[in-house]
Amino acid sequence: MQPALDIQNLHFAYPGGPTIIDVPSLSMARGEQLLLTAGSGAGKSTLLHLIAGLMDPSRGVVAVDGTIMHELHGARRDLFRGRKIGMIFQTFNLLLGFSAIENIMAALMFSSVPAEEHRAKASALLAKLGIDRQDARPTELSVGQQQRIAVARAVVCEPVLVLADEPTASLDPENSAAAMELIQGLCRETNAALLCVSHDPAMRERFSKRLSLAEVSRAKGGA
Amino acid sequence: MAMTDFTIIRRSMSSRMFSTVTTIITVAVAVGLMLVLLGMRKAARESFQRGSGNAHLIISAEPDPMSVVLNTIFYSRLPQQFLMYDRYERIVSGLPTKDPSGKLQNGYAIPVAQGDSYKGFPVLATTREFLTDFDPQLGVPWKFSQGGPFDGNMQVVVGAVAAKQTGLKLGDRIVLTHGVGDSRAGPPGHDHNEHPFEVVGVLAPSGTAHDRALVVSLESTWIVHAQDRLEREKGEGFLATAADLNASDRKITGALLRFVAETRTSTPAVLQQVAFALKREPGLTVAQPAFEIQKLFGIVSNIDQVLLAMAATVMVSSGIAIMLALYNSMEQRRRQIAVLRVLGCSRSRIFSLVLTESALLGALGAVVGVFLAGAAQNLVAAIMKERLGLVIEPALAPELVLGIIVSSVLLASFAGLLPAVMAYRTAVVTNLKPAV
Repeated sequence: MQPALDIQNLHFAYPGGPTIIDVPSLSMARGEQLLLTAGSGAGKSTLLHLIAGLMDPSRGVVAVDGTIMHELHGARRDLFRGRKIGMIFQTFNLLLGFSAIENIMAALMFSSVPAEEHRAKASALLAKLGIDRQDARPTELSVGQQQRIAVARAVVCEPVLVLADEPTASLDPENSAAAMELIQGLCRETNAALLCVSHDPAMRERFSKRLSLAEVSRAKGGA
Repeated sequence: MAMTDFTIIRRSMSSRMFSTVTTIITVAVAVGLMLVLLGMRKAARESFQRGSGNAHLIISAEPDPMSVVLNTIFYSRLPQQFLMYDRYERIVSGLPTKDPSGKLQNGYAIPVAQGDSYKGFPVLATTREFLTDFDPQLGVPWKFSQGGPFDGNMQVVVGAVAAKQTGLKLGDRIVLTHGVGDSRAGPPGHDHNEHPFEVVGVLAPSGTAHDRALVVSLESTWIVHAQDRLEREKGEGFLATAADLNASDRKITGALLRFVAETRTSTPAVLQQVAFALKREPGLTVAQPAFEIQKLFGIVSNIDQVLLAMAATVMVSSGIAIMLALYNSMEQRRRQIAVLRVLGCSRSRIFSLVLTESALLGALGAVVGVFLAGAAQNLVAAIMKERLGLVIEPALAPELVLGIIVSSVLLASFAGLLPAVMAYRTAVVTNLKPAV
């Protein structure tokens, strides 16, 4: 089986600027969960954006489920990302004009799941996460519920890799613990690899595999 | 049901409801204005041409030819000047209205008098030839839906529109009203109660202003007005008859003239010569309906070109309004676009979403505009009928409606190009970051 994520000699620098990312090698198998820690501005988010194909590296290779991300171009890369990678953000980044269920269905629009199954699949997932008001707008829901919708959106397409960027930074300790329980649990259920970047010390005990960005990247600069 | 691009567009539009509605209204007003101008111009032209009938000339004592045509053919206002009947007979006695050889189509000289009304509808006093020889539309004679022309006095033939709106039918008896509230003689608006008229005919629709008229014999109207004179001279208790008429009662407001011609629709070579001779008659105005209507079109076409240019400007402005609405919304939508890109939406699909939204605003505005135009046309038609006596059939030609809708969508799509390019170029990474 192909690794969920395989990085080789990944290098990124802005033109004329210092090297921000320099990762000789990093690999994650399906179902594996890794916490990457670093201080603010160390380049954690940049690494996630490179993995997701939202930024192009200066050189090196990022392969997701055996496909070299940066060899895909335009719509093909976008579609590949939508189907293979789920992303969770610090500020949830929900679509505000859309209902809870539409936020989930928006992700399914770009998946290979047949259209007639979208609503049932999204509804079942939301019900499982305890979201009863599925037609409510995100602004009508609590912060904890919004986080659950964001997590559901990231895993609904059953991606091989979930990237979580400071997923608990907007939450209180109680909600943080619940959110991480959910993220990790859903990733285990779907056998998705989870790469979580955070500078929250409380996260350390939740991951058996932890690395600091300094251990992964030889770069000394920051993002 | 699954989410589609249309769901995303709908959500985008509904989340900025005020901006969406005002933009649609702007487009609708522009489209409505354009449709009304184009549609009414065509309808008005057809109505004017249709309504001039087959008279070659109209004579009257009115001061200018345009008033003569508008008042006599389109019942625009009550004529203010009279011609005495004996003078009329002298004027027309030498005109080439009858062909002695019998080889050509005879013309006519039909005197008319206006001044009375029935429930706001004009009454035309004339001779029987108006209903037998005069064509309300060139080459299309009168048709009766009930009864026939009058044979004597105190009988009335009702135009199609007047009959429909008043509910008059054969055998009904009605009383005419003197003037229409602004008459020249006698107390305005009084009823001629002493002389009721019986409905003997109802005309089929001709699509002309005459459909609003009630037609009576000239002698009837002279008798009715002689009654007013007799009451002023002798007091009440008299019932005027034809025997009571004197020369001062026998007056008309104009006459329709048609000369000997090869067919019922052709124009004779002598027309200009006759018109020139008539113009030498003092105090007589000679009008050629076809010529006056062309003149009216000339005046109106200058105005409607200005109005069309204004409508086109409003259309372009509505395109700019769409562009501004979408351009301003881009600032709020950058994060939404970035999230959609993360979820798998391509740049080109984002571009087409914004462009489709723009086109949809144009299409919705156009559809609302079509309904607005329909309502506005009915209003304008009612005003034209009231003020000019012009019967316009408001109708939006399908090809015109389709053309305007397509133009509106194309214009809106063009206006959406800049916002769509902005959306296409939205940087994903920058816009995913938490707001500072």
